[in-house]
Amino acid sequence: MDILEKALKEGRKTLSEHESKELLRTYDIPVTREIEAADETQALAAIHEIGFPLVIKACAPDLSHKTERGLVRVDIRNEEEAISAFHEIMKEVKDDGATVLVQEMVKGPRELVVGLTRDSQFGPCVMFGLGGIFTEILRDVSFRVAPIEKRDALEMMQEIKARKILEAIRGMPAADLDRLAEILIKVGNIGLEEESIKEIDINPLILWDSQPVAVDALVVLNP
Amino acid sequence: METSNNLKALFNPEAVAVIGASENPEKLGYHVMKSLTTGGFEGRIIPVNPGSKEIMGIPSSPSLGEFPGSIDLAVVVVPAGVVPRIFEDCEHKAVKGIVLITAGFKEIDDPSGAQQQTALAQIAQRAGISVIGPNTFGMINLHGNLNASFTPEFSLAQKGGLTLVSQSGGISHLLAFMAMRQGVGLSKIVGLGNRLNIDFADILPYLIEDPETEVIALYLEGLDEPKRLMAAASAHRGKKPIVAFKTGNSETGDKASLSHTGSMAGNQEVYEGALRQAGILRVESIQSLLDMARALAICPRPEGPRIAVLTGQAGPGMAACDICEAEGLKISPFKPETQGIINGLLPPLAIRTNPVDMGPAWYDSSSIHGIIEAVMEDSNIDGILLLMMFASANGEAVANIFDLLVEWNQKKPVITCLVSPPGVWDGQVGDLEKAGAIFDLPTPERAAKVMAGLYHYGKLVK
Repeated sequence: MDILEKALKEGRKTLSEHESKELLRTYDIPVTREIEAADETQALAAIHEIGFPLVIKACAPDLSHKTERGLVRVDIRNEEEAISAFHEIMKEVKDDGATVLVQEMVKGPRELVVGLTRDSQFGPCVMFGLGGIFTEILRDVSFRVAPIEKRDALEMMQEIKARKILEAIRGMPAADLDRLAEILIKVGNIGLEEESIKEIDINPLILWDSQPVAVDALVVLNP
Repeated sequence: METSNNLKALFNPEAVAVIGASENPEKLGYHVMKSLTTGGFEGRIIPVNPGSKEIMGIPSSPSLGEFPGSIDLAVVVVPAGVVPRIFEDCEHKAVKGIVLITAGFKEIDDPSGAQQQTALAQIAQRAGISVIGPNTFGMINLHGNLNASFTPEFSLAQKGGLTLVSQSGGISHLLAFMAMRQGVGLSKIVGLGNRLNIDFADILPYLIEDPETEVIALYLEGLDEPKRLMAAASAHRGKKPIVAFKTGNSETGDKASLSHTGSMAGNQEVYEGALRQAGILRVESIQSLLDMARALAICPRPEGPRIAVLTGQAGPGMAACDICEAEGLKISPFKPETQGIINGLLPPLAIRTNPVDMGPAWYDSSSIHGIIEAVMEDSNIDGILLLMMFASANGEAVANIFDLLVEWNQKKPVITCLVSPPGVWDGQVGDLEKAGAIFDLPTPERAAKVMAGLYHYGKLVK
């Protein structure tokens, strides 16, 4: 795995959002369509490629509290807005060696979290739960020990208190549970296959209609 | 399957030696002898003590080696320092199992305790001896009239199908005494103590094959190798119900973790998932452990989450409904035919949709009978919670539905809370339970919780 090797060689503790998603993509986990851009020319090309509405975010390893620092601009609808967002973000983060991500705008009020952690006794464990800003406030999550089977994945979804958000509610279709289960199984497999990965957060994993998409992701490395 | 064979001999020995047997009530060796002799054990008991000719009227042997016959089980109650020598004696004697009551090993602060335990484990491994303990009260096989513990009163428990396996002596005593007080039949009570070479994972396959064990209840604190337990339970998923209560949950996630996942993965959360994954039903209290273990022996599992709450008074029904909803059960509507029958049996103004307040039918037991019967046959209902508090006016209610419940024989689970002043309904309720027609709990909440546990267990092992 090139991304992992490179990051480990550089002695990094984390992968950037874009690297994290590239890694997830190789495991067939659905992620946002996005292009990394380091200057205005690249940004312009990326903006045209992705199309509106789109999201522009700062991107670098070890970059936390992106939203609080104003480093995420959502629902950008034209080129003018996009270029000014690009420059504003770059001004804030250029000293960190950051780039920007031009990302398709994934919309949906149902935000989930999928994660991987390593328990000292059980080894890699998969987490599923309510995502977004509620993850740590409500702690509505469920764990299983990897490897997990489909039945485990389906049970995890039934165990959270907010399980009803996976059903057809308020005009939204039911979540594609099979696809969600695949994601959970694969995250567990990453834990078993890649010793150098300590933890993963996919948060939020947004339900775009019925389809889950990783909108932000963080891979933490084992030094 | 050496361990399983050893365990078979350990729980069903023909000859039991008590090493450290004593006539002095201030020694545990006295209490162990009392347990064996008063517990009705029909095999041979050999007290071993270098200073005595006989103990409690039984001829004793100065050492294990000097006893001419063979020994299946050695119960060891000598000071920790002497135990290695005793283990070697057991090896020479080809003893199959040891219950090592002696404490002072891995559980003490002094690291020498852990070292000694490791040394004992090596002897046991070499000799192929299965060891329960050290640091345990012992074990009891009620069906074999074998009480190899320092608590003779365990033998007073009724014989039944529930096997308790615990990491704590205190919890074992508590559970066994609760079981005795509630008339719950027990099969085996096992204190694993420090788990020299018999851990939960080692005893589980034996108990799953054990014809005298119907349900296995585990009390866990912390395990050295929890994945072994998961593997052992998963391998036999659904063959026999396993319920577990785990304490020591306070360990939280890694707060310094860079990820949310890491910071939320506490010991409790991970164990909860792991136990479910292995097909083990996890409960949240000691009382619940006993309630669920009993229920799983008596009741079928609801096919789905749709529960009917039939209550003689509104309040208990509300209490039960709250728990049902919180635990993932559904108080769902009846089929129109069923609702029609109920409407015909209850006066206007009564709450007749699920939950059904049968209070207005107090004076008319045949209405209560009719409602229960209709709900039993309703294919939209997966289980029945029947709650009735005695009142002078409904005193005959239990008698009037007795035959109906017996005949129905829990084709769907019927969990009840039938409460009266002492002695009024108790006999009938007890008979219904014995007939397997109901499982009765003393509060509506516990009844609802048990229904939820049955449903969740059913899903775990489907």
